[in-house]
Amino acid sequence: MPPENEHTLIEASRAGDSAAVEELVRSYQGRVYGFAMRMCRNAEDAKDILQETFLGMIRSIREFRGESKFTTWLYRIASNACLKKRRRGVFEPEPEQELSLDDLMPRAGPDGRKPEIADWSEDAERALLRGELSQQMEAAIDRLPPEVKIVLVLRDVEGFSAEETAEMLKLSVPAVKSRLHRARVFVRRELSGYFQDQRKS
Amino acid sequence: MTCRDLFERLSEYVDGELSQEICEEIQRHMEGCEPCVAFAKTLKKTAELCRRLPSRPIPPEVAADLRGVLVTHLSKRK
Repeated sequence: MPPENEHTLIEASRAGDSAAVEELVRSYQGRVYGFAMRMCRNAEDAKDILQETFLGMIRSIREFRGESKFTTWLYRIASNACLKKRRRGVFEPEPEQELSLDDLMPRAGPDGRKPEIADWSEDAERALLRGELSQQMEAAIDRLPPEVKIVLVLRDVEGFSAEETAEMLKLSVPAVKSRLHRARVFVRRELSGYFQDQRKS
Repeated sequence: MTCRDLFERLSEYVDGELSQEICEEIQRHMEGCEPCVAFAKTLKKTAELCRRLPSRPIPPEVAADLRGVLVTHLSKRK
């Protein structure tokens, strides 16, 4: 949740008030750290991203004119820092070419019958209570390509809207929706595998 | 509407972003298609589960280091 006096803090920070800057940082440091940790899964990198984000915030807060929400603006800096940590290799496929929906769609049986799809939504609640599920989910999310993973994290974990996510990542809204869908379908498939194994054992 | 058409739009469907007309088409398809119902339910559950993932709290030493870096930066600015 943003601090109650966020607007005042931002104005004071823009005017160069160091105490206001520090308070603004304190309000958001936990959330940004959690985001960075989830994106890079490495304490050292998360610390770098955190520092880079707030140094970036201090450097450019005068340019923040309140056209978007402050959180959206701040997460744009943080998202850039996260993606910079893992630059894509020249020969890697573009994110749009990875995780194609054709590959992710459940296959029909050899005799043309519809695929069998288990509804594990109730199992998920029980696994969650036993505390087993978070690790499985984190591992599945980690297997996503970073440009797709960041969309899922911003939309479904952090709870930003498609429009806010598009603004942060400088993508179109349809591109955000397309990446989110592929990310969810992928994570769903990984979880299905987990629940299938659970049922067997 | 085929299973494939529905499969493509399922995230928009669970996020409530589709027109009523398309939603009704999807619901009509699902009335006769058990796999699509199970897929939709588990996809929706996947998104819900993400929202409930616990976040790693910031360790006090990381917060202290951050403060140190920022204070140095702010004092240089003056």
